[in-house]
Order: sequence, then C-alpha cells, then structure tokens
Amino acid sequence: MGVSAVRIALVSLVLALGAPRPGAAAAPGSGAASAPAPPSAAMHAEAPASAPAPARDGTPQAQFRRAGEMARGGDFPGAIAIYQRLAAGGAESATLYWNWAQAAAARGSMGEALWALLRARELDPGDRAVARDIERLRESASLDRAELAPDPLASLARASRRFRLDALALLLLLVSLCAHAVLKWRRAGALAPLMWTTLALGLAIAVVPVAGALAHATGAVVRRGAPLFDAASPTAEAVGTLREGEVLPILESSGGYVRVEDSSGARGWALASDVRSLGSAPRPGS
Amino acid sequence: MTRGFALPFAACLCLLVALGCGAGRAGADNLRAEVDARKIGIQEQVVLTITVEGSSLPEEVDRPAFTNLRVVGIPSTSTQVSLVNGRMSQSRSWTYVLQPAAVGSAEVGAVRVRLQSGEYSTAPIPIEVVPGAVKPAPAPRSQDPFGEDPFGMLRSQRPAEPMLFVEAKPSRSSLYVGEPLLLTYYLYTRTSVSSLQFTGAPEFNGFWAEDLQQPGQPTDEPATVEGVPYHRFAVMKKLLFPTRSGRLVIPSAMLSIGIPPQGFFDNGGTVQRATKAVFIEVKPIPEESGFSGAVGKFEASASVDRPSLALGEAATLRFKVEGAGNLKWIDRGPELSVPGAKVFPPQVKSNLEVKPGGITGSRTWEFVVVPQTAGTLEVPSLAFSYFDPEARSIVKSATKPLTLEVRGGVPGAVTPAPMSGPGIAQRGGPLPLRTDLERPPRWAASIPGRWVGFAALGVLLLHGLLWGGDALGRLARASSPVAAPAGVRSALGELKRVGREGMSKEAAAGLIEKTIHRVFGAMDGDETERARAVRTLLEEVQAVRYAPQLGDYSERLRELATRAGDVVRKWA
Repeated sequence: MGVSAVRIALVSLVLALGAPRPGAAAAPGSGAASAPAPPSAAMHAEAPASAPAPARDGTPQAQFRRAGEMARGGDFPGAIAIYQRLAAGGAESATLYWNWAQAAAARGSMGEALWALLRARELDPGDRAVARDIERLRESASLDRAELAPDPLASLARASRRFRLDALALLLLLVSLCAHAVLKWRRAGALAPLMWTTLALGLAIAVVPVAGALAHATGAVVRRGAPLFDAASPTAEAVGTLREGEVLPILESSGGYVRVEDSSGARGWALASDVRSLGSAPRPGS
Repeated sequence: MTRGFALPFAACLCLLVALGCGAGRAGADNLRAEVDARKIGIQEQVVLTITVEGSSLPEEVDRPAFTNLRVVGIPSTSTQVSLVNGRMSQSRSWTYVLQPAAVGSAEVGAVRVRLQSGEYSTAPIPIEVVPGAVKPAPAPRSQDPFGEDPFGMLRSQRPAEPMLFVEAKPSRSSLYVGEPLLLTYYLYTRTSVSSLQFTGAPEFNGFWAEDLQQPGQPTDEPATVEGVPYHRFAVMKKLLFPTRSGRLVIPSAMLSIGIPPQGFFDNGGTVQRATKAVFIEVKPIPEESGFSGAVGKFEASASVDRPSLALGEAATLRFKVEGAGNLKWIDRGPELSVPGAKVFPPQVKSNLEVKPGGITGSRTWEFVVVPQTAGTLEVPSLAFSYFDPEARSIVKSATKPLTLEVRGGVPGAVTPAPMSGPGIAQRGGPLPLRTDLERPPRWAASIPGRWVGFAALGVLLLHGLLWGGDALGRLARASSPVAAPAGVRSALGELKRVGREGMSKEAAAGLIEKTIHRVFGAMDGDETERARAVRTLLEEVQAVRYAPQLGDYSERLRELATRAGDVVRKWA
C-alpha cells in the first residue's frame, strides 16, 4: 500500500515536471507562446498544477489511458491490443498487466487474465491486489496451487525480486571486500569481524537469486482446450488438452511451438500462442 | 578310358546338332501388320504394330501410307530375341499411334520390307471411323502398373521414353478460409510402373493438412490427355484447410517412378516427374464478435443428464455441435453462466471423421453445473456462430433454454459464494482499472541471478587474492635471506637510537645485537661473506656488552652502531 502510494506520488511528480509550465518557451511556430503569458493566465495555469497533467497523444501514458477508456466502453479486444503493443514496446509494468487482466476477464478469457496477473506478479511481486486476484481466479478455474507454481525455484526468484535480495547480497559482498582491503593496508584489526560477517551474510543471501535463476522458464495456458500435440508440426496428432490457466514449465521451443509438461506429467508440444511465457513480454501478433 | 571320352563327346555333338537345327529355323522370315481395332470412334486412337521376324532384321521399315489417319507422337521400336528349347528367334516391332481425322473410312496402306529371303508385304488394313467412342475398355490385368506380372515384359513393349506424368489436382481453385480442399496426386501412364514415391514431403504452406485413408491398391481410371489415352491412378489424397486468405501456392512435388524391365535386354529404370504448382484463391471470412472461427454447416444442441437433482449434487450439461466443416480446430466452447449455480470449465470430447468431402462429426463441451440454491434454475440458450460458405455469412445456431429443478434446502438461499472484492470483475460489472501507467524506475530493475552469482565469485576471488598476498609476503620473508625494505628502514632507525638516550653500554649493545638478529636471523652454518661480516660485528658488539665498565664506551658503541648500519645497508 505504502509502496504503491509512493509510486503514484512519483508518477504524479514526473508528470507535473513534464507538463508545460506557465511562461515557459514553447516550440517555434506556436502562436500561443509567441507572446508572454499575462499574469491572469499564469495564475490560471498555476491552479491545476497539482492535478495530473494531460498526457500527450501517442505517449505510453496516453495510450494506456485510451485503452482503459476502450475497456470501460466494452471494447476489450481493442484495449488488449493496445496493452499488448505497449508491453511489446517496453512499457511493461504491473499496472499494465493488471488492466490487461481485467479486460481479458471481462471478455471471458480466464486463461489470458490469469497469465496477465502472473506476469504482473513477476514484475511487482509485492503487489497484494495482484496476489489476491490470482487466488480468486485460481479458485474459479478449480486449479490447484501447485498447478500455478510448478517450479519452486521460481518462487525463490520472485522472493529475491520482491525483497531486493540481489542488490542486498551485492552490497554486503562489496562491504566485506572494502573491509578486507582496509584491514590489509591500514592494519585495522577491528574490521575483521565486520569483514567476516558481511561476507557470510552476502554469500548466504546471494544463494537465493542464484537459485532462482536456475528455475525453468514457465508459461500459462491462455486458451481453453489448447491441444497438446505429439510433435512440433502442423500435421501432428493432438494427444491431449491443456487446462486453461495452468502454469507449465517450458522445456524447449521450436518455431511456433513449445514443449511443455503438464501437472500430470504428460509431455508434448503446444502452440506458443496457447502457452504464453511468464518470463518475457508477449511478442507482437502472438 | 574310352568310355570316359565317349560321354562328353556325345553331349557336344547333341548341342551342335541342336544349335544347327535352331539356326536353320531362324531363317523363317515373316512380316506382320496389326491394328488393335478395326472400328474406332472419332476421338479414339488405333495402335498399329508392324513386326518383322527373321535371321536378319532391318533397321527401319518404310512407313505405310495412311488414309484418313495421322500419326500421334513418335513411333516406338522394340527388339526381342529369345532362345527356347534350342530354338532362337528374333523380331523387331514398330508401333504407331494413329488418330482418325474424320468420320468415315480410313486405311493403313500395305507395308513392304526387303529381307534376305526376299521382299515381303502386307495387305492394306481398312478401318471404320464412327462418331463417339466404340473401343472396349482395356483388360484390367495389363492396366495395373503395380501388379506383378512376370510375363508382362514379353507381352508389352515399352517406348523409348516412358509415357507417363504426374499431376496435383485440387477439387476447387477458390474457397474461403477454413473450407476443405481435396488435393489429389494422379499418375498418368501408358507403361507399367513398379514403384512410386515422393522424393520429398509435399509442402502445404498456409494450409492445415489432413491425411485421407488410401485403399491398398490404386484404382485405374481411363483418361485422355491431349488426345492420348492414359491410365490414371490416384496415388495420394490430402484434405487441406486454408488458414489464411490470399493467393496460396501449393509448390511442385517431385516423384520418383520405377519402370520395370520391358524386354529381355531391358533392365528397367527410374524416371523423375514433377507436378505443376497449384494456385488457390482463398477468400477471407468476416470477423465478428463471438464468432468461433468454424466454417461449414453445423447444428448446435444442448442437454442435461438430470433435469432434477438435490441441492449439493451436480448435473452435466452437454453442448454438442454437429456437422461438417473445420470443427476439429474449434476448441472454444460457449460461455455458460447459470444464475444460482457454479459452472466449472468444460471438458471437450470429439467424434470426428476425415472424409474427402471434409471433416464430419460432432464436438461436445461438457460443463459440470453445481447448483448453489434450491428451486428452478434456468440454463440460458447457448449459441454457436459459424461461417456458412454457401450463405456467405455468419450463421448462429442457438439451443433452447433448459431448466434444472433443484430439490432440498430453502429456495433462494444461496450457498456461500466465493469471496468478492474490487478485483477481477464479473461480466457486466465495473472494471477496476488503474488509471496511470506506473513504470518502475530503471534502478529498481532486478539484477539477474547469474550476474549475482558471478559477482559473488568475483568478490570471493578478490578476497582470496588479498589473503594470498599476505600469506605470500610472509612466506617470502621467511624464505628469503634479504629483508624487506620496511624491515631495513626500521632497523636503521633502531641503530640511530644507540648512544642518544643515555643508554647503558649493555642496553646499547643489546639493541644493536637484537637489531642485527631481527634483520638477519639465525645464520648458523652459513659461511658466506655476508654471514662472516655479520658474525664479526656481533662478536665485537658482544665484547663491548660483556666488557667490564672500565671507561667510556659511548664512542665505541656509536662506531659499532655505524658499522651495523653499514652491514644492514649492504647485506640486508
């Protein structure tokens, strides 16, 4: 809650700084800026300074808001298309995927909604609203908890991101190194306990992100009745059906197919568009 | 001995006699001209075979005069030599395929040929040409190119270049996305074929391909191509479904065709034939909200396994779509919501069959419905939208509403529903969207675990270097006879103190001795010049240290300290 509030404040600050200020020089050719603003205009301009500035058309912020309006108006495919374009363009955030999940759920695509929420959790593991909605969707889809977390190492990676264990480990290791250097060159024996403590702590904490990096890539089934094939080929035989919303380890990929293993242990190939990766933004057109 | 020679001699004599008889009979020359029909249709051909038998065969025979007939293609020639029961015979045949020019009378003129035994000729052959076709269908035995016929090579005569080709024939050239297209690969042949295989798998880019079951033996169909009769065999059939619109191309496919031996000296062989590329115009299907993507003709129906049940029990609702089309790829069922009941995601069951006309059968979505309240629950109408190519529009097939009678409990008393909150919205509810795109700052990006691992290894390595540096320094000092610069400086500083601070001669001598020991350590057994210089100095220092106090030794001690400094500078 506190983190979210801080983020909202930071975003408002950035927007406020990015908004044109009264009396500021405008682009050449702009008739409004060719003459100095009168005092009354400056006063009017100062009044709404604390409110969010209007976003420019074409910016990720503006597109995000337009997508929100489309979703509220019932144009869920259009909104999702914008979210997908934004994500592919690098404007990924938990907020983006949250809205994507809401639009997908309203459209009836529970698998896609669950995937978007899981992706949001990957980006911001501390977002409790996301965690709550994942749980709600999991229950409505009658999925077991294990079916959303097939690889325990992925949880370690999330914990590392959430508590910034990666940065903490590096900081402690750096402190231990500095303490050792001072100990050697200045013969400051009092620094030895500090060196040993920070070194041990740094190494212990570094185990978490390192172990998390060993986790399998995973993907969520976004289509109901997504088939599982016996080969990565358009002429392959369907050997089963994947459960919508289930998270599967991705063992390998080939062309437009990914090799997966479902919770029952069945291995096979699925269309990459049916099993969307949790580790990266979706590609345009997927 | 005599008997041993007699048997081989008799055998050789018999062989010579037999060969002599055979050679004598080979001189029986003969000329024949035959047609396969005396009455043909205007659109049919007649095959003329001129055969010469004899001991010496001509290379060419003059072509006879043709009346109301023209030659189709290149005449073929074949030669046969046989040795049966000691009788050798040889013959050469010329085969012409003739096409009538008009209805009426036609004639193959007399054939004349000069042989060693004289000049031979045949009588003219009259042929009647009538409208339409009158020739009987060829006998089945000789039509089967895959049949094993050990005597076929003696009966048939293979042209110099086998008359055969392959063709990929689509059932239609224009269709909608998702419509079935039957593609048949045909072999057209006028000769026997022993094997046939694709040199590479045919490609169907832009299509979803389904295999069709082939009968064990290809069936023969008579076909005429550019006036030439062929036997046509369907060698492979594929059912294709375009997955995108536009002008799609089915590329050329290469087939390798084995030709069996056609004569005594013919070893047979393999020829390559390629199909022509096939172009298909694929029209797009309209996009509409709720459209399932199904193309064809379908009928939707719904049923429940138990229309009446007790509260706490579950019913199964089956939504079935039946018909012909691309139903195999339609996985998404309808959205089902029953007020007062919890509906679980469906299981999909298929009963589909691939036929040349398309895929027919049914697909069923089975929903488990668990009532949450007693009373009469209504299962709403379920719709299935599909594109009907005949109507060229999206058609909706809807089911009738169903009712569920739920017994027990208090009517209207709803069992606890799952938790609700401002999260994933139910359909129709307000969307809890976030208004600002909060992007995490760059510095907040997580560091990849691998980098953390490498950094930890690097830090450990640097710690090791620092520790290793200390240990190496100590080791070097212990093993080297030369003192470190820092040790020399401190020793010289110690020696400067001698005689300054009112030290007794014992203290001053002790300081010099201690300093020398600290710098040079034990030098037992060392006979170098350095060791000797150090020992001489130490002896003099000890002499002063233990000498009786009979005078002032301060000058002597300063001199020893100066010498000790020189020794340290020179040898340490």
